[in-house]
Amino acid sequence: MKTLYGLIIVFLGVGSCTIYDKEFDNPVDFIANNEKGIGAPTLTFYPLTQTKASTETVIVESFIVFNPDSMKSFAGVHLQLDFPQSFLSFDTITPGLFITDTSQATPLFTYTFDGTNTVDIYTYFLDTIETDLLGSGHLANIIFSPLGVGTDSVLYNLSACEMIDYYDNVVELKGVRGAEIIIQ
Amino acid sequence: MKNQFAFFLILSLSILLGNDFRPTFLVLNHFDRSLSNVDSTMVNTFSNSIFEFDSTFHVLFENIDEYENPASSYMVTIRDLGEKHNVDYILYNRIKHDKNRFTLDGQLFNTRSGGLIHRRKVDLINYLNGQINELNMWIGNVAGILDNEWQLNRESIMFSDPEDIELKKTPLGAAMRSLVAPGWGQSYSGKKISSKVWAGTESTLSLAILFSYLKYDEAAKSFLKNLNLYGSSDDVQKVTGFRTQAEIDWEKHKKYSELAIAFAGATGTGWVANSIHAWIIGPRPYKNIYQKWESQKPNTAG
Repeated sequence: MKTLYGLIIVFLGVGSCTIYDKEFDNPVDFIANNEKGIGAPTLTFYPLTQTKASTETVIVESFIVFNPDSMKSFAGVHLQLDFPQSFLSFDTITPGLFITDTSQATPLFTYTFDGTNTVDIYTYFLDTIETDLLGSGHLANIIFSPLGVGTDSVLYNLSACEMIDYYDNVVELKGVRGAEIIIQ
Repeated sequence: MKNQFAFFLILSLSILLGNDFRPTFLVLNHFDRSLSNVDSTMVNTFSNSIFEFDSTFHVLFENIDEYENPASSYMVTIRDLGEKHNVDYILYNRIKHDKNRFTLDGQLFNTRSGGLIHRRKVDLINYLNGQINELNMWIGNVAGILDNEWQLNRESIMFSDPEDIELKKTPLGAAMRSLVAPGWGQSYSGKKISSKVWAGTESTLSLAILFSYLKYDEAAKSFLKNLNLYGSSDDVQKVTGFRTQAEIDWEKHKKYSELAIAFAGATGTGWVANSIHAWIIGPRPYKNIYQKWESQKPNTAG
């Protein structure tokens, strides 16, 4: 009888052989973006969704994601993003790791806030040695303070965003992904 | 004659007294154990008989089946005996015991030709006075004397009503045992080889299920771990690595899941088939029982 019980357990175990869904969706993953029909290079936020308490700080990371097979070097970026002013208050912006850990070169990094819900970020490489960057990476951290509860998104304004190379040629941006913010 | 008790009963009888054309017989009995009152029973059953004891016929006690042509094995000896005792036929009867059974081998020789003209070999379970009864039936058959009492005595070993036979082992019992443990029903039915085959097959399949399930479980856990790392990382290089590993794990967990289900299906099907097989070959009463005799090659020599 032990054999029977053992096999029943095995059958039950086999019956619970769940096939998990293969859902990969990380905004810094080119393949995931491509599977969703978003072209590269892509301006994305990480994480895609975050849930915070009204007392916590909201940090949204801005990324540029290239297709690994067709990368182009860039030397300057202009990002424009809108956020829900109804429950988020703009706090500050810090440079991303990708543009600050490049040898000793210090990029020009600045931003403007229109006082309502739009932030413009500008970053350039002005050094003669480290003139540009190649690859996908972290551009900036945008920090907000919650004002109330709610759910909305932080979005890029693609028409206003721009990326240029060392020779001031435009590197076309082909897609953007926003980030969902949930304040509870 | 070692442990055997052998004696030669020579019975010459005239089937019909006073008629010269009636056949006469010399009866030679060879028994491996003493049968009480066999001689007096013969005298009473076949009247007008003459008894002689002679130990010169030892050669006839050899197994004639070992000869290429059993029917003509003792032609010279038979003719000599017939001439010596002035009989038409010689009846040689041998009884051998084996546990609760006995075998009667009766041979009828024609003294004119010396050949074996009739033979009866019966293998029966012991019954009351069975040996003498079978001897009477054989000699009576040869001599043309029939007695219903002999047939009734023989039938006493048979079940009067086969419907009353209760079998301790049944096909259903075998099937149920195999349903509990593959091969048990076959073993219960005395089929040792098929029992081992079924038990081995089902054990192997069960191990294959277990192996596949363990590999599935390992791959599924690794997939979930890498998927979680993939989702929680903002490092482009690491994300790519986690995704690659998660995809490998996903393929593995899918493959082993399918294998486990396939093996489980095979095991389940085999399990049921094993039970049905146990039922098919399960112990049943024999309705027709035949004695398997040694095959006799015909003498094709000219």
